[in-house]
Amino acid sequence: MLAGRAPPGAAGCRRLLAAALAAGLRPLLCGPPCWAAARRAVGQWPSPGLRIPEAAEAERLVQQLQRVQRARLPLRRFIACPQLARTVQRCLQGGASPSPQPVLLECAPGPGILTRTLLNAGVKVVALESNSAFLPNLQSLENSLDGQLKVIYGDFFRLDPLGTGTVKPPAVCSDKLFETMGVAAVPWRADVPVKIFGILPQRRERNMLWRLLFALYECSSIYRYGRVELNIFVSEKEYKVLTAKPGEVKAYQALTVLWQVGCEIELLHKEPWSSFATNLKSGGLAVPKSRWLPNDHLCLVRLTPQENLFTGGLKPTNSSTFIFMVKQCLAKPKSRLTDRLKSWSLDNSGKLLRELEIPKNAETRNLYPEDYRRLFEALQNSSVFTETWFHDEVLESIRNINL
Amino acid sequence: MSLLRLRAALGGPARLGGIPWSVLRNYSSASAKEKARRSPVCERTELLEVLKARVKQLQAGNGPEVTVNKQELSLLGNDKLQDPLRSEVAPGPTEEPPAPWGREKSLSRPSSWAEKLKKEMYIRQLKVERKLSLAASQPTLENQVNAKPKGKVKAKSKTKKSPKIPKTKVAPAWNQSQAGSRSTYTHGKLRVATGKEGVKAQGPQRVQEEKDNNQQKILQQTIQSNLQCFLFLQQPEEAERFLLLYHSSPSKRRLLDVNAYDIVMRSWARKGRVRRVSRIFSLMESVGMRPSLGSFAAALEGLGRSQASPKAVWRCLQQLKNNGFHVDELFQKCLFEEDEKEMVLRAIRIVQPDYQLPPSPSPQTSKSSLLQDFYSKEKTVSYPKLDFSVQELQKRFQQQLEMELNSTVTIESVESTKPLTTQTLKARKLLGTLRSQWHSSILQALQKSKHSMSKLRVAPGYNTLYPYLCLLPDEEYVAIMMQILNTLSPQGESLAVLARELGSKVYNRYITQQKLRSQQLEKVQAVYEGYIHLLAKDSQPDEYLPREYWEKLVAESGFGPSLNLRDCSWPYMLLMRLGMHLLELLVQAVKVPRNILNPRLEPKLIPVLYHIYSFHSSWQVGLIKPHPIFSQIVSDAAETLLTFNSSAIPMLCPPVPWTSPHFGAYILNDTKLMRFVDGAIQHQLLLEQCPPVNLHPVLDALNLLGNCAWKVNQPVLDIIISIFNDKGNEKLDIPPPVSEAPKPPVAPGNSSTWNKSHKHELLLYKKKTAEMHSLRMDALYKLSIANYVRDKVFWFPHNMDFRGRTYPCPPYFNHLGNDVTRAILLFAEGRPLGPKGLDWLKIHLVNLTGLKKKNALQERLEYANEIMEEILDSADHPLTGRKWWMNTDEPWQALACCMEIAKASRSPDPAAYISHFPVHQDGSCNGLQHYAALGRDLIGAISVNLMPCSVPQDVYSAVAQQVEEFRRKDAEQGVKIARVLQGFVSRKVVKQTVMTVVYGVTRYGGRLQMEKRLKEINEFPEEYLWEASHYLVKQVFNGIKEMFSATRDIQHWLTESAKLIAQSGRTVEWVTPLGLPIVQPYYRSRPTVLNCSMQHLSVKSFNSNQKPDTVKQKNAFPPNFIHSLDSTHMMLTALHCLRQGLTFVSVHDCYWTHALTVDIMNQICRQQFVALHSEKILQDLSEFMLEKYCSPGRENRALWQKKLMEQLSNVPKTGDFNLKEVMDSTYFFS
Repeated sequence: MLAGRAPPGAAGCRRLLAAALAAGLRPLLCGPPCWAAARRAVGQWPSPGLRIPEAAEAERLVQQLQRVQRARLPLRRFIACPQLARTVQRCLQGGASPSPQPVLLECAPGPGILTRTLLNAGVKVVALESNSAFLPNLQSLENSLDGQLKVIYGDFFRLDPLGTGTVKPPAVCSDKLFETMGVAAVPWRADVPVKIFGILPQRRERNMLWRLLFALYECSSIYRYGRVELNIFVSEKEYKVLTAKPGEVKAYQALTVLWQVGCEIELLHKEPWSSFATNLKSGGLAVPKSRWLPNDHLCLVRLTPQENLFTGGLKPTNSSTFIFMVKQCLAKPKSRLTDRLKSWSLDNSGKLLRELEIPKNAETRNLYPEDYRRLFEALQNSSVFTETWFHDEVLESIRNINL
Repeated sequence: MSLLRLRAALGGPARLGGIPWSVLRNYSSASAKEKARRSPVCERTELLEVLKARVKQLQAGNGPEVTVNKQELSLLGNDKLQDPLRSEVAPGPTEEPPAPWGREKSLSRPSSWAEKLKKEMYIRQLKVERKLSLAASQPTLENQVNAKPKGKVKAKSKTKKSPKIPKTKVAPAWNQSQAGSRSTYTHGKLRVATGKEGVKAQGPQRVQEEKDNNQQKILQQTIQSNLQCFLFLQQPEEAERFLLLYHSSPSKRRLLDVNAYDIVMRSWARKGRVRRVSRIFSLMESVGMRPSLGSFAAALEGLGRSQASPKAVWRCLQQLKNNGFHVDELFQKCLFEEDEKEMVLRAIRIVQPDYQLPPSPSPQTSKSSLLQDFYSKEKTVSYPKLDFSVQELQKRFQQQLEMELNSTVTIESVESTKPLTTQTLKARKLLGTLRSQWHSSILQALQKSKHSMSKLRVAPGYNTLYPYLCLLPDEEYVAIMMQILNTLSPQGESLAVLARELGSKVYNRYITQQKLRSQQLEKVQAVYEGYIHLLAKDSQPDEYLPREYWEKLVAESGFGPSLNLRDCSWPYMLLMRLGMHLLELLVQAVKVPRNILNPRLEPKLIPVLYHIYSFHSSWQVGLIKPHPIFSQIVSDAAETLLTFNSSAIPMLCPPVPWTSPHFGAYILNDTKLMRFVDGAIQHQLLLEQCPPVNLHPVLDALNLLGNCAWKVNQPVLDIIISIFNDKGNEKLDIPPPVSEAPKPPVAPGNSSTWNKSHKHELLLYKKKTAEMHSLRMDALYKLSIANYVRDKVFWFPHNMDFRGRTYPCPPYFNHLGNDVTRAILLFAEGRPLGPKGLDWLKIHLVNLTGLKKKNALQERLEYANEIMEEILDSADHPLTGRKWWMNTDEPWQALACCMEIAKASRSPDPAAYISHFPVHQDGSCNGLQHYAALGRDLIGAISVNLMPCSVPQDVYSAVAQQVEEFRRKDAEQGVKIARVLQGFVSRKVVKQTVMTVVYGVTRYGGRLQMEKRLKEINEFPEEYLWEASHYLVKQVFNGIKEMFSATRDIQHWLTESAKLIAQSGRTVEWVTPLGLPIVQPYYRSRPTVLNCSMQHLSVKSFNSNQKPDTVKQKNAFPPNFIHSLDSTHMMLTALHCLRQGLTFVSVHDCYWTHALTVDIMNQICRQQFVALHSEKILQDLSEFMLEKYCSPGRENRALWQKKLMEQLSNVPKTGDFNLKEVMDSTYFFS
């Protein structure tokens, strides 16, 4: 405990606060040892031995920020507790092979508790922060280190906005971001080029999941650079959706099928909502309501794109039709698959299903994700499937979901 | 025997119904004589004693009640005893059968004894009902060998099981002690008294009641429309069975009102089955429902038909009197169908042989001060005559009638002139065979589904659609479905839209059938024959208005059916459900061999329509799309026949005058006086409650607008059609055919390999073609209808929206349309130009060009004279000359005007030239004019031309100047965005926002408008768009505030008042100075889910606890109020123009008349504006609202109520503009 304590929260303006933040969290450095360069080459940095502020301190800083900034900030959750940060850090590094670890992009680090933990663990971190008030602190941390941390101003959850006109920060373009990070695109089947960590903003959680999904299937945005590994905290109810089994009422949805086809889904950790700090004035937890599914935790989920996603008939070019087909089928989960196929005039549906060994009376919610993929690939090969009918809707739906 | 029964039914209990409650309450006061005479009374008093004892016991003991003794079981109608309590707290609703748990709410003392009593009462009720319905079903078994009662008994026993714990517990005890010799009616008797008492004590609790009523209204409506179906189908047994389903269950019985029983009675009465009628009567009384006038009408009708004995009739009439009615009322207030009226009269004459129909009430006239001149008989001039003889009009009426009887009209499209290719012929033949196949398969599917439904009917599924599928011949349903199939666009249509269309088509034909069945049509025909004498040139002049004359003729005609139909509208949910059912049939039945265009494929039938979802972020919309094969065949066939509903074609004879909210416009087609969103019933209710005389001015104005005869400007139509058939012209607003669309982007390989940009291009292309298709079709419809009536004279019947703005009913082709449609229309009546007519034509032309807006009329005229050469060239060589007309604001109207000027100026005496051309006079920013007049804003008044000026003022320029002033100051202060905007603030930029500020545009919307305008300026730097538009909209608002200070105050006052009213849970209502009641139909309606096998449909219904939508109520009030004022101004002008013999029509704030009469119209227009605003409009509004929303005489007012009262009484102050100035303002309307 060297540096001065965080000053009392009387700071009147943003600049003052930023200075205070920087002062409060000034890193404690062990002078850069000469062997650092050697370790750097393998992708593992020596621990800079940073002080991790206590949970209460971090929370106070977040609260302070809320008070000082005039505009109402959207609800954000932070990792404030050092234990949680360590757990997350271990999860992120779990199963790390001796081969060089990819860069870790940390979205919205805020007070930087996890950032410091990660840095101490020797991870190379890029911090993408959308709130400029957090920036000075992070930047001074960046300056005090020898390239182990890079701080970028931007909002991961406003990546590649679709509107016309110039991209106004904190919205960012993925190509700019990756250029700044210094990450080049790799082939799909290559190793994970980047790991991303973030907490999905609660209000746009579902929207974000859809957008990421479209990006994944189209190999656009972050997935243009290869099989980017997402490590995200999602609410338990969404986690239940992502990992639902066929036939599970309410949980088994189009989102389920598409994510399970697209990614390997791995639960890394479950943490109660109360472990996270929010930027609410009241300090409340603002746990979203859920009627049908349990929702007591935030779940840290690892989404690794399947290596063989595009090996069959599925291609980034026709994948939007696949997405559309799945959505159509699961728009009414109790309908029969044959009825759905019939209503698209795929007249030999009976034969098709027989070949795929799907029972004739199967309801759309009873099909496994893999079945949907096989169905789609079979349709691609059959001459009768004229996806052109879907075109308007497929295109419409892309446009709509990408909002 | 039948007589005996009737006596029992009509005589006994209902006589008791007349006994005031006070007698019943003080049972001891009931005289011994009476006791002796009527045993039921004795029984009742005994019961009351028992009951009283029981109350005491419960009050005192408060102990747990374990056993139910015999005495308690014989309590009859013990709810009665609670009444004294209740009447102090909250009187029950008027004629509602009181259901125990319904009342629970109003009982403010939930002491346990009261609860127990209630429980007992409930059980008691159940018992009685069961007995009753058993009794009711027995005669059915006796009289006819009929399987139906069995079903009913079954159903009933099921309802008995409905889980209510206390009931099932106590029921056994009940059964043991059944041995009472009670009459089932006694129970009812007491109930009748309840009803009466409710009537007396009505009042303060009305608000709550209204809410409840609204909730039940829809359900009641569904039940009634079901019953009405049975009545229509002449199935009284079914109707009764259905009624009993509800009647026998206490919870469901709540949904029955007198009308439901009346309908069943009527359906028996129509068959002359008096005994059945009387049984329904007794059913009704058994639950304490007070018979309505209609019930007696039905009873008498039955008696009349069966030639009953005088005694029976006498009893019935006695009964009627006991219920507080008078015999004459039957004929004054009831609606009759077929020969019902005669039958009732016959029955009455059995006992009163010299009974005469009561004289119809003398016509009332509106007392509105604004219309004193108009309605005063001294000044009456005869109604303007049409240029037709009685015989000609009669012939036209027959044509129109024939068209409406066919319900659809098939006309040649204007595209028919194209040469036919062999491919086209082949495709047409193919389509023909396919259609006949589809026709038979749809018919089959329909019959199959009806068959399976008819089997299901026995089960207690009350919601069956079966009766609705029997109303019309099967062929008609098929025709309706085929029509939908034929008009489906290749892009598809949403399920909800299609379902609604199908449902309402069936409904409309049902209404037509009903008009035929009830012989209403014959009567309309007869009355119309007399009515046209008012309009025809060769008959006596009559000093009547159309409505008055019609009413007079109806009154004179005496017998026959009423012209107003009994209300039989279907609830919106029902309409949708029926529509969905038909749609499902359609999707299932229509198939096409898939190899029809590609013979190499194996033949197999595939559906023509497919169901697909379209996703919009979080919600999904179901669509029905036609298969591309189908679209291909249709487009290949290029059919040239178009089928419309007969209501889409202008009327071929003068419309039937509006005489009530239910009657007017078309002969058969159902038309609403007031248009409203689907499912909203508030407007109709409000109109019904409104005294008829208050509506007279509005009805007369609508009749006047509808009576204007039109014809087609054939030369202009020909030119337009020639361009339309020759690739169209976007600049001239003639949409080109889809074939003229830019080619789709060519992409390599098959569609699956396209990349994103290709797909995006394709999307744009598809959007463009879809847009072009709909524009093209719209123009095609308009032109084809115009072409169809090109040689005819025609009329546009009018109705109005909820603010009183008037609209022509035919949807496609009417004078409210765009430049193209307006250019095609001429007044059928011609008038000489007169001395100034030609000048007015020229000024009108210059107005249409959009040039010289800031110049005086004289300058405009001079300009027209200057360019006379261009005008004549345009008229003579529209497509080959210098085409001056093409570069004007409204090219087609300008062209038509050029031609008229050319003809007039070349005639030997232009002043005598007979012109049919309408000349327009536009209000300059009419909304602001009304605001400025309301607030007497001087500066504002000047800028919107309320003050006489030598040149027209332009409010947009004035605001733009003001904004520029603000900007300059800010720029000097160093505001960056103000500097960026230098040179960009113009009239054009601010115009739209200024125009819409009046109509309540918000800053948000205003900014979007600004952004659009700024985007149009190429030089404007794009990065500043947001900031600049934000800044500008703020300054425009400030500018307006500066110029129209009182206006903003008024707007604010209106908004705040509406907010407080809505927050208090009520909707904003007001009455226009002409007496039209208005209610804002904005509710926070929860969508109801309609479960259909194809898809669950979320339907916005207006039944569930309608809380007003505060935001909408608040934001919409100022514009709606102003619209109600501008519509009032228009109607006043219209009515007074009529008195001066002018031809007058309007497009909201644009008034049309002949060139000869422009000056007179302008004068009337100004006069009426002054007259309107000389009324204390805001004070009147304030008073009306205070009375409505702050009920006086209640001491303990809540805080919000005080606040509301303060707000409402605090009418904003006005400026010092002298309203009289308007009289001399040339440019007020110009």
